[in-house]
Amino acid sequence: MKMFKKVALVAACSAMLGGVTMQAQAANWLMLQGTEAPDTAVRAKLWGFIQAQYQKDNSDANGAGGYVPPKLIGPNLDSQEAFNVNRARIGVRGTGLPLDNKVNYFLLAELGNNGITSGSDGKILTDASITLNHIKGARVRLGLFKTPGFEEGLQAIHVFDYINFTSVGNQLMLERHPSASDAFDAPDPTPNASMNAYAKSVGAFRDVGVQIFDTFKSNDWEHSYAVMYGNGNGLNYSDNDDNKDTYFYWSSEKVYGGKGPRREGLKMFAWTQDGKRTNVFNTSQEFDRTRSGVGVKYLKKPFRVSAEYLTGEGMIFQGQHRPDNTHGPYNNEEADGYYVDFGYYIPGSNWELDIRYDSYTRGESHGTSAANDESRYDTTTVGAQYHFNKKTRVNMEYSARDFESDTPNVQAQLVGVDSRYAIQVTHIF
Amino acid sequence: MKMKSIRVLTWLAAMGLALVGMTSTAIAADKSMADVKIVLQISDPNPFKQTLVLNVANNIVKHYGQDLVDVEIVAFGPGLRLLFAENANKGRIKGLTGKGVRFAACANTVKGMNKVLGHDPVLNSNATVVDAGVVRIIDLVKQGYILVKP
Repeated sequence: MKMFKKVALVAACSAMLGGVTMQAQAANWLMLQGTEAPDTAVRAKLWGFIQAQYQKDNSDANGAGGYVPPKLIGPNLDSQEAFNVNRARIGVRGTGLPLDNKVNYFLLAELGNNGITSGSDGKILTDASITLNHIKGARVRLGLFKTPGFEEGLQAIHVFDYINFTSVGNQLMLERHPSASDAFDAPDPTPNASMNAYAKSVGAFRDVGVQIFDTFKSNDWEHSYAVMYGNGNGLNYSDNDDNKDTYFYWSSEKVYGGKGPRREGLKMFAWTQDGKRTNVFNTSQEFDRTRSGVGVKYLKKPFRVSAEYLTGEGMIFQGQHRPDNTHGPYNNEEADGYYVDFGYYIPGSNWELDIRYDSYTRGESHGTSAANDESRYDTTTVGAQYHFNKKTRVNMEYSARDFESDTPNVQAQLVGVDSRYAIQVTHIF
Repeated sequence: MKMKSIRVLTWLAAMGLALVGMTSTAIAADKSMADVKIVLQISDPNPFKQTLVLNVANNIVKHYGQDLVDVEIVAFGPGLRLLFAENANKGRIKGLTGKGVRFAACANTVKGMNKVLGHDPVLNSNATVVDAGVVRIIDLVKQGYILVKP
């Protein structure tokens, strides 16, 4: 009887430990999102997360009393203060035939209110992919999924350390897909500024296509690659032209320990994307779209440091309120930017402190622009995170922004851009 | 002729050693002198149970000491996935084998999976195939093993 009690006690302790270890997941982003751990995946694992937030923008209106998007709370861009269910995603992933670890899938739907859903009746599939793992060193992922690229976009958004994207991420990488029927408004006063004019979802750093990828381990190092060929049309299932995008990605990481999204390591990565876009306002026009970047991420608690430099040419987003050029909301200039991020996990507590500086410079091709005119977007964000448990946390952040432009008409809109407060609770299930 | 005889003898010796090796596993279980003898059952499709049964085995060995405990994990039904060669836990299985934990794979389940896959699943080299997982458990319980199904 005594023996039974001892064994039962050990088994109970093991059950608790088992719960902890199951929090950990696979490897890097490519593997974490595109594969399942061999012979441990279920037929359909239900999962998702909810993000509820409040944001307040302290910017002033332009001379005519109107507001441009950086001064408004997205995605609706109606006012400067709003509660929002920013993301509410639910999905399933696993392997249809658990006995065969060579095939897995990933399905995720967005029901929250953001740039993805504001143009899609409030619900849309963000991911729907199948991975074939039959060839060692060349896994094949097909369907709709995140493109191999810059860290902010490729990483799982529910473990993102900030609430708002960097300017370079938001403007250079988060592609807007306007429709020919979209009408562009001049900046309007709040509370009904209605600056979100798009009928279609933002690209959400995703594309429909096929990706060859894998990860190779060498002692403590892990080397990953991905090559993708896709429509270059964001979340839209089909293509709007015959042009295709190509994506190349490489990362090498010295792994210190742990697993999953917060695995500790030193990762260096580089990527490039290349494609063409058809101007929906004039379908006889096509423009190149090129993006590249290099970056590094270091995480070894209590410290986190990450930095990335990005550059782009063509299809440079100028804002929802910019109808006055032949490219729709884009120009054909060059742009570049970077971010540097530091995190500190306060030992022995559930608190995490964050500070990030990001800078973005884009070429201007406005009707009143002189040659070589540029606009610059510099933001310093300080934040804190409190982890209630491994699945629930609150983010608080304050962003000080310094936006300016050489082009008078653009500068007239950027004058008055000020700080922004945001608080967000994330719960993962 | 002489050479042929040597080859035959060598072959017979090798077979004999292999048989000794095979039976030694059974003897180790049948005549275990350990103070504590545990058989752990995994037959559940839930992958969480895979982690759990390995944690339990590890904790039992850690608690009682490698030389004083005899642990065998018997996998059958959907639980046999734990002993697939590419299972994500293969590193832990290797580690536990090094600590004396034995792993038994059900042959009946292998046959059943063959019908679904069209071939036998490739099993972990640390697993020993037994005729029937449940019979193995019954036999071990008869020998004084405590059955735990985490």
